[in-house]
Amino acid sequence: MQAAHSHDHEHEHTPSAPAQAWVKTGLLLGLALYFLYNIVSGNLTNYINIRFSWLAYIAVAIFGALGAVSAYDLLRARRAEQAHDDHDHYHNHDHVSWPVLFITAIPLLLGTLIPSQPLGASAIDGNISTNVVAVSSMSTLGSDPLQWNVLDWLRAFNKSTNLAEFNNQPADVIGFVYREPDFAEDTFMVARFTISCCVADANAIGLPVVWPDNVALDDSQWVRVSGTFTLGAFRGQQIPLLVATAVEIVEQPKHPYLYP
Amino acid sequence: MQATTSLDVKRYGARLVWTLLGLAFTGLVFAAALGTGQDAVTILSIFSTRFLGIFIEAAPFLLLGTLASGVIEAFVTQADVVRWLPRNPVLATLGGTFMGFAFPVCECGVVPVARRLFTKGLPMSVGVAFLMAAPVMNPVVLVSTYIAFGTISPAIFVGRFVLTALIATAIGLVFALAARPQDVLRPQNFAPVMGGSAEAASTPAPRRALLPGLIFALKTAGDEFFEMGRYLIIGSLLAAAMQTLVSQEVLLALGRGPVVSVLVMQMLAFLLSVCSTVDAFLALAFVGTFTTGSLISFLTFGPMVDIKSTLMFAGVFNRRTVAYLVVLPFLMALFAGIWMNLNLSF
Repeated sequence: MQAAHSHDHEHEHTPSAPAQAWVKTGLLLGLALYFLYNIVSGNLTNYINIRFSWLAYIAVAIFGALGAVSAYDLLRARRAEQAHDDHDHYHNHDHVSWPVLFITAIPLLLGTLIPSQPLGASAIDGNISTNVVAVSSMSTLGSDPLQWNVLDWLRAFNKSTNLAEFNNQPADVIGFVYREPDFAEDTFMVARFTISCCVADANAIGLPVVWPDNVALDDSQWVRVSGTFTLGAFRGQQIPLLVATAVEIVEQPKHPYLYP
Repeated sequence: MQATTSLDVKRYGARLVWTLLGLAFTGLVFAAALGTGQDAVTILSIFSTRFLGIFIEAAPFLLLGTLASGVIEAFVTQADVVRWLPRNPVLATLGGTFMGFAFPVCECGVVPVARRLFTKGLPMSVGVAFLMAAPVMNPVVLVSTYIAFGTISPAIFVGRFVLTALIATAIGLVFALAARPQDVLRPQNFAPVMGGSAEAASTPAPRRALLPGLIFALKTAGDEFFEMGRYLIIGSLLAAAMQTLVSQEVLLALGRGPVVSVLVMQMLAFLLSVCSTVDAFLALAFVGTFTTGSLISFLTFGPMVDIKSTLMFAGVFNRRTVAYLVVLPFLMALFAGIWMNLNLSF
């Protein structure tokens, strides 16, 4: 709306496209490239549920189209100007003010200047749950329990009426190491973030793991834990503890979040 | 639209924008200070991930909204809109409530579309009902809410749509009684020119041919992205700063009382500004801890009003109207949520 008015004061006698119009075009095309980069690099999974990745394709297409039209406008204006055609000079009239351009550049700046990382142990801040509501889409729960992830196990615990049934049940899960000062010395949590849509609704969940050597593990380190469950007490709650037989350091998985 | 007025508007808008930016960054500094033993780089990285998460999820919906808005500007004439609507003002307002099924937009996209429709001569009551209801009354939200609550808690699924229809229609009718566009809209929005394109003014809106129409729609959408995008970005900055700052546990501790839980969830809906197409999944995380009434209020009020839509309202309506559009849904959803908690057993 500022644009409609600024044109009265500033634009009337400007023969060529103002710098703002070039920046605006650059931002639109830059955002298209940024979304494309997120898709190609796989960084998209740091931000949103992969189920919604088609949204990023839409963004690439629309940002690209908007940028292309904007560029076409600029180039046409320049050609007209070179031909000294006073009548057809740049008349897009859409001055976007510098503050607005700056604000619109913020996602691009943060996205390119700060290395893309998923939420990890440092983002939990004490807010981690072992209690997961069992939802309808328990598709994986039919399969081999050794394939179950942290979320599947917590759902199974939540659904169970007798937690002792998990005693001696073997498990093999991947997550990152999370510890609080009040954890017993031989205990850490193998944790994941779950996201439904995007990191705005991220929740940290974790399985308590008993592993006497855990001091050797760094916080936030991605690990693969195998072992068997034994019902025990964790932070005053009865829950199957994963007594580890092996803890292996692994790369951060391609999909860092779990999708409920 | 004398120079003084537009300058005032401009200065006010700029000041608002910069104040909020300042707030967001102050929040960041606080977050860095409060982060227990965590350095500023870690905090900034978490903040950046949260901000970009919201932006990447929301931007495509904003783009679809601006595109719908551009297409409406290019191809829909005033006569079309008026012809589609029933003559009876009450029926027309009801039509506005369910118009979202024809213009499927979330709360990021609804403001530009509503603004376009106002300039196409849409009656205030219809536009306001549309503005309030459309983020919920559309196929995408219907599906996402069903997936989240259809089996676990059908009451929340049904309750969201019923309550949204009731509140949106009621607020629309309030505007039917009370308002003329010039009392409600910021000056530039009921003038024939808007979105910064002088061409719109000089073209007396005969239907455009397909290709020029599409190009015009894309140009309009591009302008509108910058117009509306700043509110989305500032809102996302604030929401991300809040998430990095306030521990969820603190919020949850407030949450079992029939009154307090509704208040808390509505404040949360306002602050988090999560897109209406996905907020049902967020609400799912509160099923075990919060009252059902508070969740229905969350899912009703959030799509109508949150940080970013309030900022967007401020670009379209005058300040008094923005206050009505925030306070009326807040109070109606609040009383409805409390009433449900006290009188219904789910």
